[in-house]
Amino acid sequence: MNRRREARARRRSQRLGVNLTSMIDVTFLLLVYFMVSTVMARQEDQLTSSLQTRDSDATGSQVDFQPQIIEVLSIEGTPSYRLAGRVFTDDRSLESVLSELPHEIGVFVRVHPNVPVGFALAAVQSARNAGFAQVTYVPEK
Amino acid sequence: MRFSSGSKSRELLVELTPMIDVVFLLIIFFMVTSEFARDVRAEVELPKLPGEQLEENEEAGVVVNIDEHGNIILNVSEEPVTLEQLRKQLQVFFITDTSTEQRVLLRADRRASAGRLNEVVRVLHEIGVPAARMGTEIPGGLQ
Repeated sequence: MNRRREARARRRSQRLGVNLTSMIDVTFLLLVYFMVSTVMARQEDQLTSSLQTRDSDATGSQVDFQPQIIEVLSIEGTPSYRLAGRVFTDDRSLESVLSELPHEIGVFVRVHPNVPVGFALAAVQSARNAGFAQVTYVPEK
Repeated sequence: MRFSSGSKSRELLVELTPMIDVVFLLIIFFMVTSEFARDVRAEVELPKLPGEQLEENEEAGVVVNIDEHGNIILNVSEEPVTLEQLRKQLQVFFITDTSTEQRVLLRADRRASAGRLNEVVRVLHEIGVPAARMGTEIPGGLQ
């Protein structure tokens, strides 16, 4: 009698079992996909700057006030920043000087062609960090 | 008392096939959309700068990529374009789509020469784009 009951219970439990293998497979696939895509994607941001060219707009020579101009250039092969005659080779020193200047009239960043993009954009970032709302990118020939 | 075991097993059976179908559809959807996102964003090493850190990022608009060698890439799946081709494509884009307010995102590789970036900026200025956004990579930032 007991044996029969056990056999019936075993049969019933076999019939009621839900096969979860495929769901687990898919869940693991999803997990792996999201892990891989998370590692690959780097978080990006942006720096907004006005655009001007020296041929068309006043960037210092034709205006009444003396604008603040950061020159990004290569001096004896070293990428450097020049602001009011002072030369800096790192963006932190540039930023500390910029933060002491008046911010109302904005700042121009004149970029010479023989410097890396990363170095040039660091000047734009320094101006932003120093509190300048108006930063203008001026490409030099 | 006897129970009919056959009808009970039929009622309790859980059908997993539709769920698996849906999950696969979701996987395909995410894979395809991520491919589309990659199509306008070339693999470039952006300058490692924090950027403006705005809470809400603006819509990208037109994305212009400049790789390490100075190639201008508009679509990853297509060949790099020349300055003249870039000028024409941007003019066509801004004429046909006036809703984008001439939004341009410049994604220039940090190792590239600023000379190439300057040429692209000059083209943008000539066609009347007043401002551009330069892409940066947040140091140590992963999505």
